[in-house]
Amino acid sequence: MIEIRTRKGYNINIAGMPSHDLEILEKPARVALLPERIPFVKPRLKVKVDDPVKVGSIVFEDKRNSQLVFLSPGGGRIAKIKYGPRRVIKEIVIELDQDEGYEAFPVISEARLEGMERKKLVKTIMTGGLWPLFRELPFRDVPNPDVVPPSVIVSLNSREPFQPVPEAYLNDRIDLFEFGIKILQKLSETLIISTSSDDSFVQDRLNGFVTHTCNGFYPADDPGVLLYHIKKSPDENRSWYINGQDVLLLAMLFKTGKYPVDRTLVLGGSLARERKHLQTRIGVPLNHITKGRADDTGAARYIVGGIFKGYTGSKDSYLGFYETSLVLIPQGDEKEFFGFARPGFDKPSRSRTFLSFLNKSSMAMDCNCHGEVRACINCGFCSEVCPVDILPQFTYKSILADEVEEALNHGLLDCVECCLCTYVCPSKIELKNILKETKKAYFLEQMQS
Amino acid sequence: MKFIQKFFDSKRKHFVEGGRFEKFYPLFEAFETFFFIPGNVTKNDAHVRDSLDLKRLMSLVIVALIPPLFFGIYNTGYQSNLGSGLPVTLVAVFIKGLQIVLPIIMVSYGVGFAWEVLFASIRKHNISEGFLVTGLLFPLTLPPTIPLWQVALGISFGVIFGKEIFGGTGRNFLNPALTGRAFLFFAYPMKMTGDTVWTVVSGVNSQGVDIFSGATPLAVSAVQGTSAFIESLLSKAGFTLPKLFYGLYPGSIGGTSTFMCLLGALLLAFTGIASYRIMIGGILGALVAASPGYIVSLVSGNSTVPMLSLPPFYHLVMGGFAFGIIYMATDPVSAPGMNISKWIYGFAIGALTVLIRIFNPAFPEGIMLAILFMNLFSPLLDHFEIHFRLKKRVPNV
Repeated sequence: MIEIRTRKGYNINIAGMPSHDLEILEKPARVALLPERIPFVKPRLKVKVDDPVKVGSIVFEDKRNSQLVFLSPGGGRIAKIKYGPRRVIKEIVIELDQDEGYEAFPVISEARLEGMERKKLVKTIMTGGLWPLFRELPFRDVPNPDVVPPSVIVSLNSREPFQPVPEAYLNDRIDLFEFGIKILQKLSETLIISTSSDDSFVQDRLNGFVTHTCNGFYPADDPGVLLYHIKKSPDENRSWYINGQDVLLLAMLFKTGKYPVDRTLVLGGSLARERKHLQTRIGVPLNHITKGRADDTGAARYIVGGIFKGYTGSKDSYLGFYETSLVLIPQGDEKEFFGFARPGFDKPSRSRTFLSFLNKSSMAMDCNCHGEVRACINCGFCSEVCPVDILPQFTYKSILADEVEEALNHGLLDCVECCLCTYVCPSKIELKNILKETKKAYFLEQMQS
Repeated sequence: MKFIQKFFDSKRKHFVEGGRFEKFYPLFEAFETFFFIPGNVTKNDAHVRDSLDLKRLMSLVIVALIPPLFFGIYNTGYQSNLGSGLPVTLVAVFIKGLQIVLPIIMVSYGVGFAWEVLFASIRKHNISEGFLVTGLLFPLTLPPTIPLWQVALGISFGVIFGKEIFGGTGRNFLNPALTGRAFLFFAYPMKMTGDTVWTVVSGVNSQGVDIFSGATPLAVSAVQGTSAFIESLLSKAGFTLPKLFYGLYPGSIGGTSTFMCLLGALLLAFTGIASYRIMIGGILGALVAASPGYIVSLVSGNSTVPMLSLPPFYHLVMGGFAFGIIYMATDPVSAPGMNISKWIYGFAIGALTVLIRIFNPAFPEGIMLAILFMNLFSPLLDHFEIHFRLKKRVPNV
């Protein structure tokens, strides 16, 4: 085990952290697929409203690569297809039958896996609908199956405060995980399995597998941060990564021959009454998660996928394919009288400009910006937290000046989109969004050429 | 609180689009956000944000300026009453100080703020809190006898040519307050230097004036052409080391007391608002630049440049060095953003200050010019440090 130290980064001390208890939820009435949440995919629908589907039926495919299919996370009937502006497909809702039917996929035993060639393995995962679980750095798109990646990174933990811990999703499924690792070993010569340096559960139970431990603040165990610290040459930039929990899905597909829909997620935030790990399924409605576990007063923001990187949902929306957390915190749209002049014993801040630096207990946070947008004064707080040593205050200025080359030299593509720069900026500049949009534009430009 | 909110809500309609004073929305916004942190929420990730905003940051600089400000008011009144032969009781001195200093600050804020509102209205951006600091720093660097029209002129020059023509806060490459001061310094040298500008003498008691010499310690050091040791000259003129440190002597309004500036420095460095690298670098630079000459003059026993015989640490407590390196040099916009650059920048400011003091008799004080000079170099320092830093990166394109 190699220990990777990340000196920068930051841990927020937010109230409403989940416990490690795991509760298994009952079956929801409907589930949904959210194509707009899958990066850089142009969906072509393969179903119509009222079509019957089984678990694992093809719902849509990528227009650019029809081999890349997205399967139904439930058996029943397509109840609704919701479009957004410019005909973006937002939701494909499936009403579940009492007894769901399953599409049959080949069952592959460990012995058969041994002798399987890579091409065939890739095809099995593609038709099994689980290829999108792999993501390619640095753009975090779904990787090209024909390419052999320099390495595959399995990231077990996240120091994001609201992500499931391996203890919850891995506890009695270590065997399954080991099988999944065997699948991954066939995809790339280098397999990196990383965990947090303080996760004793993983280090005890998966001792032989873990290759790297990550020591540091959020987002030290992000695969992008890990890669930034271990890469020796530019060839390694296009590594793939997969979440620890998703390795289990791969293994289940191979073992059972059924499209797996299991999801372990975290419900947290100061407005959730029960804060813990929940075992449910992909595409579950958010109100199914919060039912009886949070009071719906209308004041809460539903954040799906984590406090830093997640998207804003509502009680009528659904859990995405990748997301593993639901956080409920207050909107915080009230004005605050003389807010800037208060001692601020309970105002969380990375700086020591409030008395909260004396307050070690976790503090409730809301979605207020705590200030208006101002010009950058070059305070450099962003570069003090950036885990991959980008200088956001200079990089974003070169982007605004259309000097994309210079931004790339600054390490723009190493950006792991952790949002810490946006979080700390006293001028409230959307730094991460500016960097991310530039990355995206660069990616699309490259794809066209 | 409710009625203030109601007041703003009722007046908002005049300032939003289509209202009578649509153009002056930045003014309305500035006042409203002074009373209330607005209720705007994050539109996307990160969903939570740090509590620190620019208003808090700048108001903490103001807090850090309180010790030199109050001491400056006291000292100005004290010197004035002493020079005029008036009683030097605490209350009398403080009232006198307020009478002199308050109009200067009010003119600085008033005129500067008017320019800010004008530019913000035309450019349609919000008024930046950075001006709160500029508007207070500027008067504290002035001599108390400054005519108010010159204050207005200086702050106008500082705000317009030091900042706004480059695009406003965040885009200026010179410290606006020092730009204004430098303008006055070269345009009206009679009012900015010499022995008579540092003390307001009120003509009630003409007897006092005769016995009084208003020279600053720097003037004493610079003017004396003898080969005697400056240290003893200074003590003869009443400037002992503790006195210089605590600052009860004639000088610019806020700049005399190193002790009071240090209090501010502690707050600024602890909260992380001002860079300790620049401050410590500046002190090191001053000491290193002053040491060789001092050693030579110690060994040889006399020197053609008498300032060389001054022990190096005297430079730290004399004149506006402490005020400049703590409040002016650390302005994040005009200072470099990279850490090593900050050390170099601070060091060069300290060294240049001392060199100007020693070798250029035309300028008894060097800190202003040193900071402005190094302001010009900070983009270059950043450029080279970033260049070397990027070489170590594994490329990713």
